[in-house]
Amino acid sequence: MKLEEIKVCILRIEGTNCEQEAYDAFKALGADPEKVHLKQLIGRSPGELRRELDEYQVLMLPGGFSAGDYVRAGAIFAARMKSHLAADLENFIASGRPVLGICNGFQILVELGVLPSFDEIMSEAPQAALYTNVSGRFECRPSYLKHENHGKCVFTSLLPRGEIVAIPVAHAEGNLRFPSESEEEFLMRLEENDQVVFRYVDPNGDYAGYPWCPNGAIGNIAGICNPEGNVLGMMPHPERAMFRYQHPDWTRSGGKPDAPGDGHVIFRSVLDHVSKRF
Amino acid sequence: MGSKELTRKRAVPFPLFEVDLFSASPDELREMSKTMGLNLSLEELETVKAYFKARGRLPTDVELQSIAQAWSEHCCYKSSKCFLREHIFGIKHPDVLAKGDAGVMAFDDEHAYALRVESHNHPSAIEPYGGAATGIGGIVRDVLAMGAQPIALVDPLFFGPLDLMSVPQGVKLPKYLAQGVVAGIRDYGNRIGIPTVAGGMFFDPSYTGNCLVNVGCIGFLRKDKLLNNAVRGVGDVLILVGGRTGRDGIHGVTFASAELSSRSEDESRGAVQLGDPITKEPTIHACLEVNERGLVSGIKDLGGGGLSCVVGEIALAGGCGAVVQLDKVPLKEAGLAPWEIWVSESQERMMLASPKENVESILEVFDLWDVPATVIGEVVKEQKVSLIFQGEEVFDLDLDFLTKGPEYCRPTAASNVSTLLPVKEPQLPESWNSVILSTLADPNIACKDWAIMQYDHEVRASTVIKPLQGKPGLHGPADATVLKPRTDSFRGLAIAIGVNPWFTSQDPYNGGRSAVDEACRNIIAVGGRPHALTDCLNFGNPEKPERLFEFKEAVRGIGEMARDLDLAVPSGNVSFYNETAQGPALPTPTVLGVGIVEDIRKCVTTDFKVERNPVYVIGETREEMGASALYRRYGGSGGSVPAVDTSVLRSRMDLLLGAMSKGLIRSCHDCSDGGLAITLAEMCLGGDLGFEGDLGALGDLPTAVKLFSETNSRFVVEVELSRAGEFEALAKEHAFRIGSVGRSRMTIRDKGAAVDLKTQAMRRAWSEPLWRSLG
Repeated sequence: MKLEEIKVCILRIEGTNCEQEAYDAFKALGADPEKVHLKQLIGRSPGELRRELDEYQVLMLPGGFSAGDYVRAGAIFAARMKSHLAADLENFIASGRPVLGICNGFQILVELGVLPSFDEIMSEAPQAALYTNVSGRFECRPSYLKHENHGKCVFTSLLPRGEIVAIPVAHAEGNLRFPSESEEEFLMRLEENDQVVFRYVDPNGDYAGYPWCPNGAIGNIAGICNPEGNVLGMMPHPERAMFRYQHPDWTRSGGKPDAPGDGHVIFRSVLDHVSKRF
Repeated sequence: MGSKELTRKRAVPFPLFEVDLFSASPDELREMSKTMGLNLSLEELETVKAYFKARGRLPTDVELQSIAQAWSEHCCYKSSKCFLREHIFGIKHPDVLAKGDAGVMAFDDEHAYALRVESHNHPSAIEPYGGAATGIGGIVRDVLAMGAQPIALVDPLFFGPLDLMSVPQGVKLPKYLAQGVVAGIRDYGNRIGIPTVAGGMFFDPSYTGNCLVNVGCIGFLRKDKLLNNAVRGVGDVLILVGGRTGRDGIHGVTFASAELSSRSEDESRGAVQLGDPITKEPTIHACLEVNERGLVSGIKDLGGGGLSCVVGEIALAGGCGAVVQLDKVPLKEAGLAPWEIWVSESQERMMLASPKENVESILEVFDLWDVPATVIGEVVKEQKVSLIFQGEEVFDLDLDFLTKGPEYCRPTAASNVSTLLPVKEPQLPESWNSVILSTLADPNIACKDWAIMQYDHEVRASTVIKPLQGKPGLHGPADATVLKPRTDSFRGLAIAIGVNPWFTSQDPYNGGRSAVDEACRNIIAVGGRPHALTDCLNFGNPEKPERLFEFKEAVRGIGEMARDLDLAVPSGNVSFYNETAQGPALPTPTVLGVGIVEDIRKCVTTDFKVERNPVYVIGETREEMGASALYRRYGGSGGSVPAVDTSVLRSRMDLLLGAMSKGLIRSCHDCSDGGLAITLAEMCLGGDLGFEGDLGALGDLPTAVKLFSETNSRFVVEVELSRAGEFEALAKEHAFRIGSVGRSRMTIRDKGAAVDLKTQAMRRAWSEPLWRSLG
């Protein structure tokens, strides 16, 4: 399908607050994004505002503090989705259409059980947690990510494996953890299934601890996809690195300030995938 | 409620009292003002009494409380207005589009930006987390009320020394306050998704009992969506939206209009509101949407004084009055008395005025976001407000009387301006190296990344020049932050703070001027042209003539600078009574400056870029050591506080902006706290490079002056090596070549003296202090 026909559902509730830049990212690449309130998808809005998830080719859960993150990050948004939208979402994912969760969006996908989702599209209970950063602090800082996916993830198809990208983080709960009894098994399955997409590294591209791994995530993991590769969750914010001038050091790195930034490739990859496949 | 003898309950099934002003003696009136928490003077009470005598009836408690809110220093600027009128209000600027809850300035042909800064000092001293959070909430509403999307927050904070271990009774430890305030800003600002991009943390013993929490917000809007905080006329209804009303935040403004005391904690805890960012966030969406769709006549924020201020003001601004059904107001808990509902400052509330026929569409928008929205009244022709509660009229006042608060031209008395005092030289250690390392570690100069990285300074993805600059992980400081508010244009907004309380304390006039100079320098240093200022003037008790003198002089300095530099001042805020039994806070005029960046792709940062590039000081250095960081740190006193020559600042601005647009300048940093020595050190840090040079070019001054004088309107620039000739031809007498970018150490020679420091050592000194103190 044509790029401009690709409809992107940017889903939000109260406290979702990165929807504008997510919208701008898809818009900048020529797709057709729309900011949609969850109530519009579950029949709780006036008629002319009603939407069906099925109308869209891409679902995006942006960052923010949905419902305040007061219970656990993403838990309330996930619970509302699960109770009213579970079947639609499962169908959406099963049809191979891409779902992207950034920051709070990643937390929501984990709470929903659609990541890491080893055995089914949506597990009954969460299989992982994005726990409080080891520093105990909200961390808004630059981070470097190494692309480690072998080709399954539709959001990084245009990014060579091993490439380092600079994409900032801004979160207090990004410490990816598995139940301790299944930690090793889950890590192995992630590797076997080619579900690891990004790992935090230092500016030289080496795995490193804090602050380059800003949250203490297991295996320095910054982003994972589902076994099919069409659902990606990541803590860093690629929509904040669409152009060089959004990078923290663009005044010293040379090159055109308005050239694409390091987050650009993620949006380009998924739109490329959708336009070829559908 | 009230002293028993004077109040009489009306025979209605809810708490409503009439207050017998007529028969009260002066002492009884004073007592009544105190027990009711009115904070009105005897003279003001006499005026109220005369008004009701003429009306031939006694006031209700609702009416008296309402008058107390409207006439508080906080709401009506009664002690500051006469000075502001003389120096600020008359400043004309063609780009000012509105002066309402926030000032609004033209950005380009189709767009505008809104700006305002205000204080939330008293609440933050009592309850730092909630006080700071609700400060953010309030300033965001001011900007939203103009029809603008909030796009940036700015928070200059002032505390006592962080290592202080004991404090007077009723005062909280500075460390506790700093941690609580930063957490409050973080949790509120991050949750509503507005980046906190600039600010500062300042430390002085005078702030121990009087912490200052200034909160600023920038908004952005299409010019055709500008709102004017007014009803359109009869036929409009008033819709209260957002949070519910409760007992939190009662008497916030009257509390803010008196000195804090050791009893404030117990007496005024209820004056601190409770913030709820997750009601605010959708309220922002919904307000912007109903404005976008043209459904509203005007919006106004419920801040100080709550409903009691907003209803009268929004109605009167449209030349009308209003009738309000007070029992329609959605409450947090049942049983609030009418006066409590009327003056409560519960958070997250906005008042919308709209034509009746749009009500249904508006309520639908708010319903989608699950935000309460309730029609509570309607606009009437007569300029008065009346309140009905369960069928009973509990309030009926003429707006002319209610909103025309008293105004005082209180006496001022010159304090000793220390510029005139003899100089006491500071006691300096032998080596300049140790002076520089120690000054870098001064909490007023040291890195603030402890706070900056807890604030999401990048949400909305338009922060293109960030508050920490240089190599990731090895950052140095920023002068100004730049936002790119439109996706389809490279035009930007540079945002910076200027304030120097120590200068102001020694020489209020030059302190005010220096604050503006600093804000302008910061904007120019990134490549912006200063455009508008807004200020938050934090001073002591205006009833004390020497405090009011400081205020008057600082305002004179700020006003003159704005006029001379063609800067608009479309909004501002005054906070008096920053004073306890232990003394006043330093006089603190905080200036928030906004500049226009023609093309953000030409912006410049503070970090040195390339080894061997030549480095220049722009502007001559004078012996102006008064209140400098060096003197403060090493026991110097007296001496001249830096003055400002606006024509010189202007020509340097034109020079630098011209050179930047030609791409000649690779880095630029203004000379401010700590003078040239600290400026050079900070430029080394961000670039993880060094500096090598000789200060002979600065003439025959003592080395201490060359290194540490804080003479205004100066900059340090790094110029592209191959274009040094081009730059020098442009800069002429303004530029003094002092050396070049080095590799990993800062080496400075001057006559016999020498500085030689590893960049790494300077980084350690500068980076660690706040982390050590605050954890």
